[in-house]
Amino acid sequence: MAEALSRPGKARLGRLFVYGCLVVVALLYLMPLWVMVVTSLKPLDEIYGGSFIGVPKVVTLDAWRAAWSEACIGTECTGLKPYFVNSLLMVIPAVALSTGIGAINGYILTKWRFPGANFVFGLLLFGCFLPYQAILIPMARTLGLLGLAGSIPGLVAVHASYGICFTTLFFRNYFVSLPDELTKAAMVDGAGFFRIFWSVILPTSIPIIVVSCIWQFTQIWNDFLFGVSFTSGSSSPITVALNNIVNVTTGRKQYNVDMAAAMIAAIPTLVVYIVAGRYFVRGLTAGAVKG
Amino acid sequence: MSRFIATALAATMLVPVAAHAEGQIEVLHHWVSQSEVDALNVIRKELEAKGFEWKDSAVGGMSGANAQQALRSRLTAGNPPGAMQFLGWEGVQWAEQGVVRDLNDLATAGGWREALAPQLLPFVTSGEAFIAAPINMHRQNWVWANRKLFDDAGVAVPKTWAELIETGKTLKEKGIVPVAMGDEPWQIGIIFDALLSDINGPEFYQKTAIDLDPEALGSPEMVKVFDMLREVRGLVDDNFVGRDWAVATGMVINGEAAMQFMGDWAKGEFLAKGLKPNQDFYCFATPGEVNAFQYLIDSFGMFTVSDETVQKAQVALAETIMDPKVQKGFNLIKGSIPARNDVPVDDFDDCAKLGYHERAAAIEKGSMQGAITHGFAAKPEFASVFSDVAAQFFVGKMSSEDAVKMLVSGIDNAR
Amino acid sequence: MSASTRMSSRLAGWLPRIVVAPSLLVVIVTVYLFILWTGVISVTSSKFVPTYDFVGLEQYVRLWATPRWHTAVANLFIFSALFLALSTGLGLLMAILLDQNIRAEGALRAIYLYPMALSFIVTGTAWKWIMNPGLGVQKVVNDLGWTDFRFDWITNPDMAIYTVVVAGVWQSSGFAMAIFLAGLRGIDNSVIKAAQIEGASLPLIYRQIIIPMLRPAMLSVIVLLSYIAIKSFDLVLALTNGGPGTATELPSTFMFSATFRRNQMGVGAASAVMMLMTVAAIIVPYLYSELRSENNG
Repeated sequence: MAEALSRPGKARLGRLFVYGCLVVVALLYLMPLWVMVVTSLKPLDEIYGGSFIGVPKVVTLDAWRAAWSEACIGTECTGLKPYFVNSLLMVIPAVALSTGIGAINGYILTKWRFPGANFVFGLLLFGCFLPYQAILIPMARTLGLLGLAGSIPGLVAVHASYGICFTTLFFRNYFVSLPDELTKAAMVDGAGFFRIFWSVILPTSIPIIVVSCIWQFTQIWNDFLFGVSFTSGSSSPITVALNNIVNVTTGRKQYNVDMAAAMIAAIPTLVVYIVAGRYFVRGLTAGAVKG
Repeated sequence: MSRFIATALAATMLVPVAAHAEGQIEVLHHWVSQSEVDALNVIRKELEAKGFEWKDSAVGGMSGANAQQALRSRLTAGNPPGAMQFLGWEGVQWAEQGVVRDLNDLATAGGWREALAPQLLPFVTSGEAFIAAPINMHRQNWVWANRKLFDDAGVAVPKTWAELIETGKTLKEKGIVPVAMGDEPWQIGIIFDALLSDINGPEFYQKTAIDLDPEALGSPEMVKVFDMLREVRGLVDDNFVGRDWAVATGMVINGEAAMQFMGDWAKGEFLAKGLKPNQDFYCFATPGEVNAFQYLIDSFGMFTVSDETVQKAQVALAETIMDPKVQKGFNLIKGSIPARNDVPVDDFDDCAKLGYHERAAAIEKGSMQGAITHGFAAKPEFASVFSDVAAQFFVGKMSSEDAVKMLVSGIDNAR
Repeated sequence: MSASTRMSSRLAGWLPRIVVAPSLLVVIVTVYLFILWTGVISVTSSKFVPTYDFVGLEQYVRLWATPRWHTAVANLFIFSALFLALSTGLGLLMAILLDQNIRAEGALRAIYLYPMALSFIVTGTAWKWIMNPGLGVQKVVNDLGWTDFRFDWITNPDMAIYTVVVAGVWQSSGFAMAIFLAGLRGIDNSVIKAAQIEGASLPLIYRQIIIPMLRPAMLSVIVLLSYIAIKSFDLVLALTNGGPGTATELPSTFMFSATFRRNQMGVGAASAVMMLMTVAAIIVPYLYSELRSENNG
């Protein structure tokens, strides 16, 4: 094969094969998106008439308009708009908090190791694997005691708490690969705990901050379970509103609005992946790939 | 950007302490589809006309399980909504926990008990307390049929299940899907519930679905129910997996399929297409020697709260729901019939009228019974065993005898 | 002066612990205390709401006597094993192919990654149609002339779980790809060059040199994918809702419906404890060996 590769004809064949594979997989991956886009552009009667995955005969943007600003969620016909804002208000502080705390934790667990630091890390890490269905009731009680029940700050607290487990993992594994000399030299210069973190560690951690933010953003934005458990009505995040649009039991499903709504709900995460995707891989490369 | 965040933050901070208008009430419910919401708006508008504010909290999905879960979290956090939509035993079970407000004074003053069928009372009362205001009654065991297909095939409305199967086979030979349905357990459950009563009579339904009598559950009569369910499976096409009930209704409307077993919420689909009962489509009860009327009701219960303005709004909401005028307006849209027996249905369509009259007959004959599938017979832990077994049997290759064994042991395990 | 320096250095010694303490406290409460709480509920007779009366292991007996739970456990193993193997394999393959100086790498990468961004509440519907024999792939292929083609797993109780695997792999393999790609980019090119000069063929280089060097990436992939597998919930609900029958039930859906739909809170808690024990049995030894080897090395 090495010989073969050196021959230009076969090499071209090899390239063709590589591109072929990649494109075929890409097309398979795009299939559900295709179905969603096409459906969102069809009038409802066409869908109920039996056309599920074909090209639309009539193209209309009504479903998108309805999903954004007209669809009824319960008896409030506001579309997804206000819930989109709710989700932003939830996701931004929660991502910032959990990433910030994770960064400090990772810094301590690698550069200021104390006896039992590994045990502490293990305790935090196990939290990543908690099936959340199991802790809904105790969490609800706790939020009630804290006076945070049914509010967006409450959701922020929940997401930030469970997010710490993941962000600590990311940052710790990144910082482990940073040479200790870096912090030692700063210490000799008389810099303290926070000073070193702020001016030595943070500037080197942009890639892992990106990874942590992307992961947390996706997880928190797409969360449904906590949203439905700990908020209600007008303070719900977008996934709960989406579920209310989509999950019709004894009524008629508005498939086109469902699909448009799903895509509106996915836009922020899609944008994050497309815009920051390159940094994501770069950040992972920079060290997060360690176990 | 920073100003946007500041404004937005200020807005969220305000949400939990939003200025309580005089008598605001939060209503937690799981109605999210268009017709459900339109119907609910009848109540909302009437309440708002009385000067109270309605705060809507809809949580759809999983036949109300998501809403139940939200409610549980709310109660655990000590932050219950003013009112909640109840299905099946939910209201009674919450009442047993002592968190539901007793509406007995209102019920006595308004003569609610007299206006309701006695069969409903177990679901809206708990001991002496009256705990929920029922708004509507659906009948689950309807058959919806495309009249043109019936006429073209020269078949009539079947009078027995044997006839129904024969009719189906005739239609199948003509290349028509005899029965349109999806594979969701509750869609299968609708047929199972109907067969239980239609084949063996309402007493058998009482013994099995409500009393959970082990002998009746394991009897040869139960085997017959599963045998017939297997026959019905033969009338369903293979693409039924993941089919939404409304898509199945669409198949009947379009003439791709002849019949559908579905509650009366399916009627709205026909009426929305401008089709007329008995002219364009048939509605008839699942056939049996004694016509069954398998009902489900939606009711609203009020939680115990300390805020007096909410308490006032709760009274207003309960009275609104029990108002005959509201019951009529609501049910004209929802496709059901009023929970109250004393609301005339002269303005309703033919199917609703038929249901209304058959209900009166069924109350007399003792064949008005709660539907298992929607939680109006056995308690949920048992009802789910019925639906598990029926669904597994229907989609798989299990024998009727094995299904009966599985049912008996499943019920025992849940006791 | 010297006393104050000592004070401050002692403070500095404690500072890291003080800073990490709140996080630890939060996690101890929200993870471990809550697990304990669930454990307590699992040995009570709780049905509709928690009741605190000790009934021993009754709920566990009940749980293991429920056929649906057996289905759920079997499915978890089938699903996790296939999901992990396929996502990892496909992710690795795509990463290797993408690493060959591909022209439209950015676009392709975005296409492989986008499923992670979508909520399954709705993509489930799209998949349902694609897998439906009368609407999706089977119909399209049949219409093209191959009338014998069958793809009706979703209608078959024995095969339906594999449709969940397909959708799961679609959703997560792009993520595995990203991590592997990162791992590949981290490998020194000179190693490969040297091997090529020695006459090693490309597949051999990958098999013998590069893939072993991806071990750390492999571990992160497996940890993150196991997390996704254990939590798969929306996936099943949206795609099959546990059906046909109960064929695609998973422990997470079982737990949810036992607790919130079937009034069997005790059984639900027992199933949660079983799940946690399974997770612990897999994760704890892994964590232990990882942290241990790091200490020694």
